[in-house]
Amino acid sequence: MFSANGFILRVLSVKRGWLMAYIELENVTFCYPGQSRPVLRDINLSIYKEGVTAITGANGSGKTTFSKLLIGILTPTKGWIKLNGQLLTSLTLAQIGRRIGYVFQNPGKQLFCETVEEEIAFGVRNLGLGLSTDQVAQKVRMVLDYFELTRYAQVYPLSLSAGEKRRLAIAAVFVLEPDLLLLDEPTTGLDPYRKKLLGDYLDKVIAAKRGVVIISHDQKFISRYATRLIKLQEGQFVEE
Amino acid sequence: MSDLDPRTKIVSILCLSTLAVFLNEPWPLLLLFVFTLLILLFLRINFFRITMRFKKLLPLLLLMLIIQSIFTAGGEVLISFHDINILTSNGINSALCILFRLLTLFSSAMIIMTSSSKDYVLALTQLKIPYEIAFMVLVALRFLPIFIEEIKDTLVAIQLRGVDLQRIPWRHKIKFYTRFLAPLLSRVMLKAHQLAITMEARAFRVYRRRTYLRLLQYSVADYVVMVFFAIATIVVLARDFLY
Ligand SMILES: Nc1ncnc2c1ncn2[C@@H]1O[C@H](COP(=O)(O)OP(=O)(O)OP(=O)(O)O)[C@@H](O)[C@H]1O
Ligand SMILES: [Mg+2]
Repeated sequence: MFSANGFILRVLSVKRGWLMAYIELENVTFCYPGQSRPVLRDINLSIYKEGVTAITGANGSGKTTFSKLLIGILTPTKGWIKLNGQLLTSLTLAQIGRRIGYVFQNPGKQLFCETVEEEIAFGVRNLGLGLSTDQVAQKVRMVLDYFELTRYAQVYPLSLSAGEKRRLAIAAVFVLEPDLLLLDEPTTGLDPYRKKLLGDYLDKVIAAKRGVVIISHDQKFISRYATRLIKLQEGQFVEE
Repeated sequence: MSDLDPRTKIVSILCLSTLAVFLNEPWPLLLLFVFTLLILLFLRINFFRITMRFKKLLPLLLLMLIIQSIFTAGGEVLISFHDINILTSNGINSALCILFRLLTLFSSAMIIMTSSSKDYVLALTQLKIPYEIAFMVLVALRFLPIFIEEIKDTLVAIQLRGVDLQRIPWRHKIKFYTRFLAPLLSRVMLKAHQLAITMEARAFRVYRRRTYLRLLQYSVADYVVMVFFAIATIVVLARDFLY
């Protein structure tokens, strides 16, 4: 089962021997405690710091679970995951967060600051990017502007509308410029114009040689932006 | 015959924990613990889950052995270091008491989980407690895990944005937590508010009298367990207060 995209990518990765897998999964099985049936079974997969990898699958097929494994919130029941050659279990969440930017399926869960502006600045200050106060402020202003959140700068994040919350959650992660973006259904609740804005941003991210993984049911968005498509089915991945 | 009435369960938990607190010799406490385990077995509780929980208590027990030995006078000295008694028979005795007491309390609390929360609301209303109050008790109990879940999510989100919570010193950590308490609380309040709205939307408290789908009924086993517990508790308490 070769599709043009998957095939080209594979040829590319063989041709460029240096293109190492950024995230590597080997025989990963995951089962929620107290449940008998594993959500994910024996998964072997490489994710590259290149292009947009789209993950689809029915409701409850384990996409969100998979993303939580990648970011280290959950640990595999069996098998291992390596990030840039290091075992995920040997890294702290903060170290992983520096490399992978994760936007939750329910973005309200990742907003915890008093104002929108503070929310965006939070990570920039913590990640030790070595920026001066002015540079941080400038960066925050830029991101606020791009995601059209400037007029909400002083607003309490949880009082934003659903779409605005999602934009803020995405902005707060994008501003950190991680190697890989991991977005769990980022287009849900976005209007067509904002979807395009997000897509354009993804294009920029890829141009900067960074990777994106999106989990989505949005066929239109996927077919427009994805370079690799994998489907989660009965606990296993099928490449399309 | 595999299940007891929720009211019986409430009574047994009350009796078991009273007994656990009042008994203070290792053998009767061990007996009480074994008895509690038998009840759990009867109620078909996953035994594995229980033992997993108790494993975490082991280091605590060892610590207790030593502390009790150092601070309880008397008994045979088994190990000593200079003038300090590290291990004494009295120390072992009281440490065992504490262990069995804790085990009994933990495992008796587990009896609660064998009925669904709906059953407890029914039980409380049939004990003539107003439905609103019974329901509120339940919602409060259910909210606890939600609250914990929210805290966990927030902590994960904070860490993912570059804060190494494990590495920052305690003083800063506390400052940190208080800073995020307000947004956290407001999130939980929001949830509570939503719950209130959905409950009203589903006609909570519209009619004075509620009808119930099911009525709870005691079986023979319930009577046996209740009477047994009542007698056991009274005997122990009487012994304690009379002598
Ligand atoms: N915390 C949990 N404890 C136990 N089971 C869980 C937990 N979270 C998810 N599950 C179960 O794991 C399965 C996969 O859930 P997951 O959230 O990963 O699905 P999903 O593919 O993201 O679905 P959706 O498209 O609806 O977002 C589901 O059957 C779900 O019931
Ligand atoms: Mg999901």
